[in-house]
Amino acid sequence: MALLKREEWQDFVRDVDWTLTYVDDEAVYPEWFSGTGKVPREAWLAWEEDYKVSYQEYVYTQKEKEASTYAVKAALSRSDTFDHLDEGWKSATKMHFGGVAQVEYTATLAELKMARFGLNGAWRNMATFGQLDELRHNALTTYFGHELVVKDPQYDWTQKTYTTNDWVPISLRTLFDGIMTTSNVVDCALQVPLAFETGFTNLQFVALSADALQSGDINFANMISSIQTDEARHSQQGVATLQILAEHDPTRAQWVIDKAFWGSARAFSALTGPAMDYYTPLEHRKQSYREFMEEWIVDQFVRTIEDYGLKKPWFWDEFMRGLDTWHHSLHMGLWFWRPTIWWRPKAGVSKDERDWLREKYPNWEQTYGDKWDVIIDNVNANNVEATLPATLPYLCSLCHLPCCNPTQSRDGSWRVRNKPLSYDGKTYHFCSNGCRQIWWKDRDNVNHETLVDRFLAGQIQPMDVGGLLNYMSMTPDVMGDDADYEAWTKDYVGRPATGLAVPAGAQA
Amino acid sequence: MSTPARKPRKQRTFSAFGDVRKMPSEYEIVTHAQNWNTRDGRMSTFEQNPSSPINLWFLTYRENSPLQVDDWDGWHDPDKVAYRSYVNMQAEEQTKLDGLLDSYNEAGADAEFPAEQVARLGALFTPSRYLVHGFQQVQAYIGYLGHSSYITSAAGYANADLLRRVTIVGYRTRELQMAHPDSGIGTEERKRWESDAAWQPAREAVERMLVAYDFGEAFTALNLVLAPTLDDVLLRQLGQVSKAAGDELEWHLGNVLGKDAKRRDRWCGGLARFCVQQRAENEKPLHKWIDRWSPLADAAAEGLAPLLGKPAGEVVAEARAAREKLHAGIFSTADAAAAAG
Ligand SMILES: [Fe+2]
Ligand SMILES: [Fe+2]
Ligand SMILES: [Zn+2]
Repeated sequence: MALLKREEWQDFVRDVDWTLTYVDDEAVYPEWFSGTGKVPREAWLAWEEDYKVSYQEYVYTQKEKEASTYAVKAALSRSDTFDHLDEGWKSATKMHFGGVAQVEYTATLAELKMARFGLNGAWRNMATFGQLDELRHNALTTYFGHELVVKDPQYDWTQKTYTTNDWVPISLRTLFDGIMTTSNVVDCALQVPLAFETGFTNLQFVALSADALQSGDINFANMISSIQTDEARHSQQGVATLQILAEHDPTRAQWVIDKAFWGSARAFSALTGPAMDYYTPLEHRKQSYREFMEEWIVDQFVRTIEDYGLKKPWFWDEFMRGLDTWHHSLHMGLWFWRPTIWWRPKAGVSKDERDWLREKYPNWEQTYGDKWDVIIDNVNANNVEATLPATLPYLCSLCHLPCCNPTQSRDGSWRVRNKPLSYDGKTYHFCSNGCRQIWWKDRDNVNHETLVDRFLAGQIQPMDVGGLLNYMSMTPDVMGDDADYEAWTKDYVGRPATGLAVPAGAQA
Repeated sequence: MSTPARKPRKQRTFSAFGDVRKMPSEYEIVTHAQNWNTRDGRMSTFEQNPSSPINLWFLTYRENSPLQVDDWDGWHDPDKVAYRSYVNMQAEEQTKLDGLLDSYNEAGADAEFPAEQVARLGALFTPSRYLVHGFQQVQAYIGYLGHSSYITSAAGYANADLLRRVTIVGYRTRELQMAHPDSGIGTEERKRWESDAAWQPAREAVERMLVAYDFGEAFTALNLVLAPTLDDVLLRQLGQVSKAAGDELEWHLGNVLGKDAKRRDRWCGGLARFCVQQRAENEKPLHKWIDRWSPLADAAAEGLAPLLGKPAGEVVAEARAAREKLHAGIFSTADAAAAAG
């Protein structure tokens, strides 16, 4: 073939910047969106992606990927694999479909923003591939989830989740509107392609795919692993941007990455953590959430940022301690407020599962065991009623997740601590020092009402659980309940029960 | 509260589609109501301080744009382009295109071009990558700001089509440079774009469009005015002139890229018509923007005429006719509907 090689001509495609003269450069690339900050405008001329891609390569490769992903789907849709999946695993997938599908669409918006406001033509072109990739991820996730609606109405939340004011999507919209849609492109490239895509998505897409295969959900594994193969291309925007920012304004680079890291760590502890350590059947767990975090985040990601002269984030110790608590607490919170979620959370605390939890998390029993025991005894006394919520927890004003992180006191006991902050005549509540600190620095941007603020302000009527569920657009056919109470309580039948009739809400 | 009861119900598709008898298409399933910042009943566009800078930006340029429709989800892309169909379509197109490029290259066609055609390509065709990249940026902005995911996705694919066009121009730039190393092709484009008198009206229009931040205005300026006008000059007219000058390849490329342009005309014309049909008051701002941007587009076409080697009057008249044909489909149906109603 007498076709030219990409290397021979691609510079013409990458080199599309010019000097604006009819309008001001700052009007075309306003600081709010382009965010050059202390970096001299010319410095962006050096922006360069590591591995290049052309339009023709893109459509050829992607066509193949689509063909194989849909071929696997078509083959499997004729089998009854799905019907034999464990309820807990199905819950992990429902959470994924509902939690992730429209985050992919929001990533499309992030890429489109960079395709418009990126400070170098090559960057804007890469973002054009990026927005296509994210359209793909949104379409695949939505389409695969859609196919399951007929099997179970909870999969309806694949599309519905983010149209609601359920507390989970409020929390996730806060995070992703912050890092994806409303950040300037420089911050966005560090927060999304770098911190989020080269770091955290591995957790959900690589690690969860391993659990999916173990659980026999080949279709799901096929979908998410194919999605992950696109990340390497558009996530390059992260390092290419970091190289320039780290040179001219390392303090900003550090702060921006730290913030995205923290927000992602909070969100993943709510979603991936319970899926891995509780919903995935014991015999199918590859590693614990903590182990996955250590491998994919603590080791790999930290190595990446250290290569650019950045340090571990300032909240490192609090984050590392949180690996033993955040997701366990949030799991309990999700389980307890189960009528507010679109999956069937599995408590996952049978004796065998508890042995595993104790082995992976030496403090688990001391921190969580007694609380689950109270729940178990109530369930075994046919008092499930007492394990259902009647009130709301404090929600963190930054991550919008329940304030439920315990820390150990000097006397050895574990207590949930709320970190308050008074500002402008109002008391704000936070789940952690990290959240409080970030909120304080970004308060002009992030200050908005939590679900509890809305409730207390009378925006949610009637002011009871029914009113709340209605505000969250939760319908009875979808409302979550435990997948199988007996599975994890039967080990304890007949033991002396000590904590019956627990006051509702005490698990916070 | 009591343990949630589960009542069985056969649901076959997303509840967002309501009680539908017919299964929505794959396009609708993956495109319908995917952008949460356009959901009903939101307190602010983004889940953050309602007066954060970007909330205010969207409030000003999208929520308060003069172009308004009650139900933006009512508009769908007539070509129903979704990711899978997009990459399939463009991969197939690319195979054909590669075949074209390959065979003309084998035949050594570029070396045979008359000097006048080489000069025309170097003056008009190869510098156009800057113009098209500017279009690409504006299309990305329209997608970013889209009132519905149907609009954002369509703009996303259109944004990619423009990168496709820059890619083809870039590829040809190199081929022509190799065949005519002394022509200035491959080295002079930026200078021509920035300083040739012929390009300045076009460059002015693109730069001004990059600061037209209102959603409706950006959409109108690019997709209803500048792109349809200048595509006629740079794809259709240039193709014809090239063919007459013995360069069939550029004529083919104009046709290949013209398909993307026509697809864009279909969805953009359709969207504008939808706006007018849904709310007659939309006609006023659309006309205002069309009237504001048309002179810039005409000036750009007129400026490029000498490079094309055709009388300016002819170039502008043909380009304007292409644009007006698109507009006729937008407003005439609405007039007819209004007359009928
Ligand atoms: Fe993605
Ligand atoms: Fe991504
Ligand atoms: Zn928090």
